[in-house]
Amino acid sequence: MTRHGRRPEETTLTVWQVVELARHPDRPYSLDYIRRMAPDFIELHGDRLSGDDPALAGGIGTWHGRTTMFLGHQKGRSLKERVARNWGMMHPEGYRKAIRLAQHAAKFNFPIVCLIDTPGAYPGAGAEERGIAAAIARAIMEWFRIPVPIVAAVIGEGGSGGALGMGVADRVIMLENSIYSVASPEAAASIVWRDNTRKVEAAEQLQLTSRDLLAMGVVEEVVTEPEGSARADYEATAIALDEALQRHLLQLLAQPTEELLQHRYERFRYIDSLIRAEPQFGPKI
Amino acid sequence: MVASKKPTEVRIAGGKLPPIPLPTNCPGCGVGLDHEELRRHTYVCECGHHFRLGGDAWIALIADRGSWKERYGDVRSHDLLNWKVPKPYQETLEQLRDEGLNEAVRTGTCTLGGRAVWLAVFDFRFVGGTLSIVAGERLARGMEQAAASGLPYVLVSASGGARMQEGVLALMQMAKVNAAVGRLDAARVPFFSVLTDPTFGGTAASLALLADINIAEPGAAIGFTGPRVIKQATYADLPAGFQSADFQLARGQVDMVVARPELRRLLAHLLEIYP
Repeated sequence: MTRHGRRPEETTLTVWQVVELARHPDRPYSLDYIRRMAPDFIELHGDRLSGDDPALAGGIGTWHGRTTMFLGHQKGRSLKERVARNWGMMHPEGYRKAIRLAQHAAKFNFPIVCLIDTPGAYPGAGAEERGIAAAIARAIMEWFRIPVPIVAAVIGEGGSGGALGMGVADRVIMLENSIYSVASPEAAASIVWRDNTRKVEAAEQLQLTSRDLLAMGVVEEVVTEPEGSARADYEATAIALDEALQRHLLQLLAQPTEELLQHRYERFRYIDSLIRAEPQFGPKI
Repeated sequence: MVASKKPTEVRIAGGKLPPIPLPTNCPGCGVGLDHEELRRHTYVCECGHHFRLGGDAWIALIADRGSWKERYGDVRSHDLLNWKVPKPYQETLEQLRDEGLNEAVRTGTCTLGGRAVWLAVFDFRFVGGTLSIVAGERLARGMEQAAASGLPYVLVSASGGARMQEGVLALMQMAKVNAAVGRLDAARVPFFSVLTDPTFGGTAASLALLADINIAEPGAAIGFTGPRVIKQATYADLPAGFQSADFQLARGQVDMVVARPELRRLLAHLLEIYP
């Protein structure tokens, strides 16, 4: 039960309606939350190798009295800004920038907040030419070595490897009407049916809603959105997200670094252990 | 002492390759194929065209004869998400098992030129070599064992990416295996990756390109997003050779492009000089 008096399981939305809410152009984006959580937020730029990726906003700010590194996909509100931000689809520079800033945070012992909201990594020729696959791969591996607490939230779309590249954290939570999927429903339809118009069926099969992910044990918590979804009340959604992230962070700050990293490893190593398999998965090699 | 650094003769031969289904003519040069002749040449045509191999053929090619010990072969996939359309996933799995295939990744230990290694091979015939929970579990367990025992890790990839029918849990395998790659890396255990045609999506964006030495097969297509999707999304015309092994070599993603008949000798040599 939340301050809005609703339980997340009370939804009557179809899966496709949730997908549309998650992608709604009026939905709050990362900077809408970050600027409310840390009003003194200072944006930092660049991967220190070849460029800056505007699809990923990153920087520092004071959050509940603690200097914190914020990283988030940023989709852009106006058409001009959407083009500049590339609709939140990162290039290789973005993943390199994320790790550069994560290592920066580790140097000064700042905790890290990651907000995930992307259709996926950019599916273009330039991204391929500059090594998008290896950039995501290396980012995922490096996240496991960042010796400070990381809390992540899926706030809209969690699309594929492009999202996971920003989603290796000690706790991952989701806003109620966000989605997290192995591929966008369109891409999954294109792969399974060779027909991307079968997106609604694909979305239903994929089990990509926040409730599905909580049930599978992939996320720790679902944050309830206000009546009419996050876009109806930015302020209330930001407060609820802030409260949940801070609560998880406080639990993590108490852990010694070695234990933190071991738990992060185990979180993903046994992430599928809730699912029945033959023989059972688990730490029994 | 310098002489000992020369590539040594690989005395212990790999096994005989199993027969694979082949077209009548080579798609590379159009010449009619002599299947037995081709099998002796590790399924590489005289024109240089490399035919795709299944996991069993890769094990036969890389492992010294009789040395292969499969591990975790009893960890099996089943339909976790109740995936029904267009074809029930459980049916797909059972049909592939009836054909004698055991998942998109097989792993185990073997010797290569007399040296003990962990080996993992993808099999493109099993749902496009897709990364599944079981594939991820076999890879991660093998890498953890290699990290603990110090045995070098050899990977052969051929994969379309993560498996749609296992949803977000398939995506999570990228994190699971990369965490294990990190362990292998921290343990300073050599990791050699052979990228074959095709290696894409979640497999390219997880372990396949993270090895100490990345080796691509000639003509292999390697990338994150497939050319069909890139064209759909960006309307771009892709140049010939886009995402080819040579393209990845020129852009710094792989260390070398090595023809299949040379591969065993190269790996044996690497195992000798990375003690």
